[in-house]
Amino acid sequence: MKRQIPLLIVILLGFTFVIHTFVPSKLSMDFYDWYQSWIKAISPFMVLLGIMSLFMVNSNKIQRKVPNWQYSVVTLLSLVATGAIGFIWGTQEGTPFMWMFKNVQMPMGATMFSLLAFYIASAAYKAFRARSMEATVLLVAAIIVMLGQVPIGMKISKYIPETATWILNVPNLAAKRGIALGVGLGMVATSLKILLGIERTYLGGGE
Amino acid sequence: MTFEAISNFIAAFFTLSIFSFLYKDNPFYKFAEAMFIGVSMGYAIPLVYNLTFIPFVYRPIFVEHNFWILIPALMGSLYIFRFSKNLGWLSRYPIVFGMAIVGMGVPMSMHAYVLVQVRTAMMPIDSINTFLIFLGTVTILLYFYFSKAHKGIYGKITNIGIWFMMVGFGASFGYTVMARISLLIGRIQFLMGDWLGLIK
Amino acid sequence: MAKTKMNFFDRMQALDRRYIYLVVALAIILPLIIPFNSKTYVTEPVENIYKKIDSFSGRKDRAVLMCFSHDASTMAELFPMEVAILRHCFQRNVQVFTICFMPPAKPLMDFALQTAKEDYTVQSGVDYVNFGYKPYGIFLPIVLGMGDDISKAVETDDEGRIVSNLEIMKEIKNYNEMNLVVDFAASAAVQTWITYARARFGANVAAGVTAVMAADNFPYLQTGQLIGMLAGLKGAAEYEKLVDVFATHKEMVNGVETVVPRSFSKEILKESWIKLSDIKNPVYKTARTGMNAQTVAHIMIIVFIALGNIGYFVNKKKNEN
Repeated sequence: MKRQIPLLIVILLGFTFVIHTFVPSKLSMDFYDWYQSWIKAISPFMVLLGIMSLFMVNSNKIQRKVPNWQYSVVTLLSLVATGAIGFIWGTQEGTPFMWMFKNVQMPMGATMFSLLAFYIASAAYKAFRARSMEATVLLVAAIIVMLGQVPIGMKISKYIPETATWILNVPNLAAKRGIALGVGLGMVATSLKILLGIERTYLGGGE
Repeated sequence: MTFEAISNFIAAFFTLSIFSFLYKDNPFYKFAEAMFIGVSMGYAIPLVYNLTFIPFVYRPIFVEHNFWILIPALMGSLYIFRFSKNLGWLSRYPIVFGMAIVGMGVPMSMHAYVLVQVRTAMMPIDSINTFLIFLGTVTILLYFYFSKAHKGIYGKITNIGIWFMMVGFGASFGYTVMARISLLIGRIQFLMGDWLGLIK
Repeated sequence: MAKTKMNFFDRMQALDRRYIYLVVALAIILPLIIPFNSKTYVTEPVENIYKKIDSFSGRKDRAVLMCFSHDASTMAELFPMEVAILRHCFQRNVQVFTICFMPPAKPLMDFALQTAKEDYTVQSGVDYVNFGYKPYGIFLPIVLGMGDDISKAVETDDEGRIVSNLEIMKEIKNYNEMNLVVDFAASAAVQTWITYARARFGANVAAGVTAVMAADNFPYLQTGQLIGMLAGLKGAAEYEKLVDVFATHKEMVNGVETVVPRSFSKEILKESWIKLSDIKNPVYKTARTGMNAQTVAHIMIIVFIALGNIGYFVNKKKNEN
């Protein structure tokens, strides 16, 4: 029963949504309004999952004094401090909360991903090899697209940006469409499996 | 030192702490990383409270006296049992309530990802480009059909699909290089411009 | 002779990655502190977004929705395009709505609005409205709800006001009026708008995406499911240029330099030349100054690929011999 009732809810509500999509009527609109107000009321509680998971992982590390456990203290203190600052002084522009975001979270978030520029340059030098004809085609297409995006491409020859645009609009488009069709059919199949109760992994383990 | 300069200095300190990982893993990087995770999560709590709990739960129940909303609110609070061994099953209720909307996803995804794409792929072949797009799409789809061995003429046809995909991956790679470089440019613009004032 | 050459390539192959990192840093720092003018060519998907937004100019029964679906990690690419579009809207009296569905996007959205507002006298609730952050769990219900009634779907704005009471909403009901959605994403968020808002309600959808995502979106551009796309920093640079050439075009009127917006024209665009040093506010040219560094960095990557491959083939030849 612990699995069957939730599955029944998905199947019943899910098929009601299928009907709602195809049959626009007052009844189906009312159903949708009801669903909206309920799902909105559920939504704030989702954040609990993230907070609990972070607390459990880090407090475990601190308790067991694993190597570098001190950094888990930093994580938990930052979490509590940021939350408290937001509740005490508010979350609007000009508050300490926003200052924290702009000068702590934002620079670090932006820098984390910018490290990839160094790694991709290193990989370009050490790993991108034209080992086969297919790899050569990939590299040539990449180089043309790279040159076509920057002003110097146009300076070298007007054909470089034109060729880059052609690559993107013709062979790239065909490739991405072929893949997208597969992905699309896969999504439909997965959704149907959920609706029919075949796919159940989202329910988690246990009884 | 103005307040803005101090703020920029702190932002620059955290930026450089993350960059220090390029040399090797070190306490500055570890400290910044730990703080980043905590601040990111801590940041969401008051925001969710102010912008979703108050308008979607508190106001309907306590201001508008719509007590039906107590049911989804209680259902939402069942999320806390997600990590419990014995009561974990209770957290399935808010999850399945959100999951039900996939019912709408079936016809909509079919329309957006499959039907519209197939319709455009079958446009009259009036130029070499439309022919190439058609050829590429069909050969790639055949390539992903694994129930038939890729040998003989069929193998040659699917091989055309591989060439198209290689060009597509090349285009993605070119764009990826551009993206990664852009992110670094953003950080350097901050360090050299906002912090050191070297960019005019 | 040949042996010396081989040793050189061997050494090159085994080069410490930290030297490569140093070259990368220099290739970006130098073009930024020693700026030069470079011409960004404008592509059709960017032109289409510009023209669509410009066609809403001065109309109270039209609005653009900007959805911020990214965090600070991709801000370098997406923030300049957001500021450029907001500037365009404020300059041309186009009503704007902003919304986000992830907490880290919220301050970026506020920051973009603050930045773009600086030079304009626009009023919240009248010229624009910030719907604020809504949880991701109700992304889909809101996308679908907006097809029926925007005010009902979002309920309150960022300042806690009831949206239906705001002046800006007088002539705006659903996607028929809010006729363009631009999603700024580093993920597949734009697909949700295509799948639901476009397919079900026929809304016009455009994307401002990181360059990583750009190549995947070309099928949707061809089908018209996306009316336009800004791809990475280059897309932002293109839009910045369009805003400067057309929306904030300046002319001397009675001896005073005045903003005289003009309609989009390919001919004007072809002949126009904007000196970056003439633009005083650095925020308005962030993407274009960035493109200088991007040029040098792309050349550097291509040289790296070439050097790496030369070394590989020389070594391969040596081993074969």
